Amino acid sequence: MEWLQNFLPLTFDRAVVWIGVLCTIAIYSLLYRENPFYRFFEHMYIGLAAGYSLGPLGVDILYRYWIEPIWVQGYWAWAFVVPFGLYLYFIYSERYGWVSRLVIGLLIGASAGLFFQEFSSRYLVQLNSTLQRPLWFSASNPDLTVGNLIQNYIFLAILLTVMTYFTFSYQQKGTVKGIATAGRWFLMIGLGAIFGNTVMARMALLIGRAYYILSDWLLIRVGG
Amino acid sequence: MQPQTIWQKMLAVDRRLLYVLLLVNIVMFLLVPVRMPASISPPVQKFYDTIEALQPGDLVMISSNWSASTLAENQPQLEAVIKHLMRKKARFSIISIEAQSRDISYRLAERVTKAEGYEYGRDWVHFGFVPNLTVAIKGMVTDLPNTIKQDVRGTRVSQIEMLKGVNSLRQYKLVIDVTPSGTVPIWISYSPKEVNIIYCPTSVMAAEAYTYLDSGQIKGMVTGAKGAQEYEQLLGIVGLASRFTNAISFSHVLIITFILLGNVAMFMNRLAERREA
Repeated sequence: MEWLQNFLPLTFDRAVVWIGVLCTIAIYSLLYRENPFYRFFEHMYIGLAAGYSLGPLGVDILYRYWIEPIWVQGYWAWAFVVPFGLYLYFIYSERYGWVSRLVIGLLIGASAGLFFQEFSSRYLVQLNSTLQRPLWFSASNPDLTVGNLIQNYIFLAILLTVMTYFTFSYQQKGTVKGIATAGRWFLMIGLGAIFGNTVMARMALLIGRAYYILSDWLLIRVGG
Repeated sequence: MQPQTIWQKMLAVDRRLLYVLLLVNIVMFLLVPVRMPASISPPVQKFYDTIEALQPGDLVMISSNWSASTLAENQPQLEAVIKHLMRKKARFSIISIEAQSRDISYRLAERVTKAEGYEYGRDWVHFGFVPNLTVAIKGMVTDLPNTIKQDVRGTRVSQIEMLKGVNSLRQYKLVIDVTPSGTVPIWISYSPKEVNIIYCPTSVMAAEAYTYLDSGQIKGMVTGAKGAQEYEQLLGIVGLASRFTNAISFSHVLIITFILLGNVAMFMNRLAERREA
């Protein structure tokens, strides 16, 4: 009796859980077949997510960075910033389309500038790490183990074969074709690992929903 | 044409039957009250060790960019991270570039910190939603108070007790990126070199991050719910991920079995067709 009282949607919190379960069942009903029940909840979810985003956008962005500096702190020059951003919409006008290019040019310039920093911080470090891999035992690598050495050779082999696969400047035939084929196989193994992880992620999401239904809705103790 | 042989029958199985079997498998193993121990993978161990190296009072930035759609993977990660930081008495701030994550991460942190007596404003703070991570990181490096301006409760950054004297991201010891999106390259590219980065991706994103782990650009990684389970085990806590353990393991076993059976049926069927021809 107590369980039934806790289970039924008699309070606001319980009603929220019931709605959550209804949404879950509606979305997973697609697995049976396409149906209007699923369509309705899919559109509702997209609409809710889009509408919800407007709240933080208004409070955390427009108010914090635009309205408050102008109205409270008196930085009136900020008033020109948002209209300048809105120039982007001139892209839909044949006559005044050139105005949008002012904003696009500014954005491209900023992105190009930022990429210099990104390239050095992101890719140069990886190049450096690749080139520093020791391939034989020496006094300068006292911590190098046989396992690490094998790993480094495998790394080098995969790097070279995959790079060969992506070299299109000459016709790949003979030995080069064999190396490129090996590179393609390594790529396939890599992509297989990514796909395996994707399946793992989808399983976790399904388990999360099953947990919600069992634990939060049916009030069953789950997982010990 | 009706399937004749057992292999043809196997290939003609309705996919919905497989979904039902998968669901039954998951529910069954969620209800089993025994949890299997996990073997700790090196990226998770490194992740744990990086947080263990923190000193009381050290500043940590948590970048939380997940929403309801990846809750099953990212929630256990974030919960365990916050519990670990509280154990180390580290102070932390949370920032979100995902509008939904702003409230989800704030509520989660409020719930978890309240249980341990961690006080908002003194021990932790939430910076709210920022739409462009690149601009936010660059701004925080040069002038954190004027980039963030207010926390999620509308308090000015300069008036928050925890952030007194904090002017730059350089004063932080660690960045923890809990995300289903490709945000970690942005943190790697624009955050100061002296600030370590550790990463909690969803399983989908993990494979791409091994290059950063290998080069030392990130110091550790907790991959999806499986990684969170290993991390919870290291912390000695029973969180969501630990409760998912059996279901995760056995759902993978079932899917591998389906794949093997499907392939065996396909090859045997081809063989039979060739023989007939």
